[in-house]
Amino acid sequence: MKIIICIAIFTALFLAGFKQCFAQTESFGIIKSVSGDVFISSTQNTIKAVPNMKIRKGDSIRTGDKSSAGVIFEDDTVVALGPNSEMTIGNLAFKPLDHDLSFIVKLLKGTFSFITGQIAKLAPDKVKLETPDATLGVRGTKLIVEIN
Amino acid sequence: MKTVTRFLSFVLFFSLSLIFSGCAPKTTVVLLPDPSGHVGKISVANKAGTFDITQKDQETVIAGQESKPSKPEILSENEIRKRYSHVLDALPEQPKHFILYFYSESTELTPKSLKMLPQILNSITEKKSENVSVVGHTDTAGDRKYNLQLSRKRALIVSRLLIKKGVPPAFLSTTSHGEENPLIKTGDNVHEPRNRRVEVVIR
Repeated sequence: MKIIICIAIFTALFLAGFKQCFAQTESFGIIKSVSGDVFISSTQNTIKAVPNMKIRKGDSIRTGDKSSAGVIFEDDTVVALGPNSEMTIGNLAFKPLDHDLSFIVKLLKGTFSFITGQIAKLAPDKVKLETPDATLGVRGTKLIVEIN
Repeated sequence: MKTVTRFLSFVLFFSLSLIFSGCAPKTTVVLLPDPSGHVGKISVANKAGTFDITQKDQETVIAGQESKPSKPEILSENEIRKRYSHVLDALPEQPKHFILYFYSESTELTPKSLKMLPQILNSITEKKSENVSVVGHTDTAGDRKYNLQLSRKRALIVSRLLIKKGVPPAFLSTTSHGEENPLIKTGDNVHEPRNRRVEVVIR
């Protein structure tokens, strides 16, 4: 009887742990590299960006003079920000199982380079880069955007 | 007195020209080939309509929400490097993917896949990565629930192996994409062993 109770408790704990593992929410991406002055702003505060910092929905990344930053997103999209640039993370979702795929960022000023990732392959209409002058729909490619 | 007035007018005129020439806001878009050489498509949409850019090294300039994009022109490699080398050089390396397979219906890795573990660990160190995804995948054949569960179990096994070999658990995120992100696209209910995999993605 004792053994059965032990097994039952063990199984319950194991299943709980199993579920917890998959319940964790992933961040949208990370800052991979920083050169010079780079800042991340959330709705609450602004801090100096360092490599491996996580990026979340609504965050803004800004580079200063003679500075640059490299960003890698969850779906393999890689982005570079040149000097005096600013980008805000709009809606980002990489959950193929839930059919929830989206990559929307707002480019406010500066120079950027992108190589799109898996979202562009799985849902080509869902990758949107919003600039002050137009919205760019991007299907699987590398590109440069310069705003001035 | 006349000379001073002339000089001041010149300075004023010069300054205004500078201010106004730099002030015209615009967005420049350049379509480039990705590292594999593939050139995709960019749709430029604003109040003037939607226009597509499809050719390698094509550049277009949009001077406002009401403006049509300029006629695309092809830039030379030299011009691209001259203008944009700083931002191109700041692009991070694309994440590295390792694909692991298991014995049919089991949670045992094949010998070939086991041999990949040292390479995976090496890559994590070499890239100074603190962000690794372990993603289970299935094919479109068989019971969906069973497939999903098996793919999750397999992803967990790979994660545990990596942790055992020294990867900090905080570096790892483990999920399954089920049948929604196949390596090889197939129809519904198709056996495709190459899709029944676990991918380790190192950023």
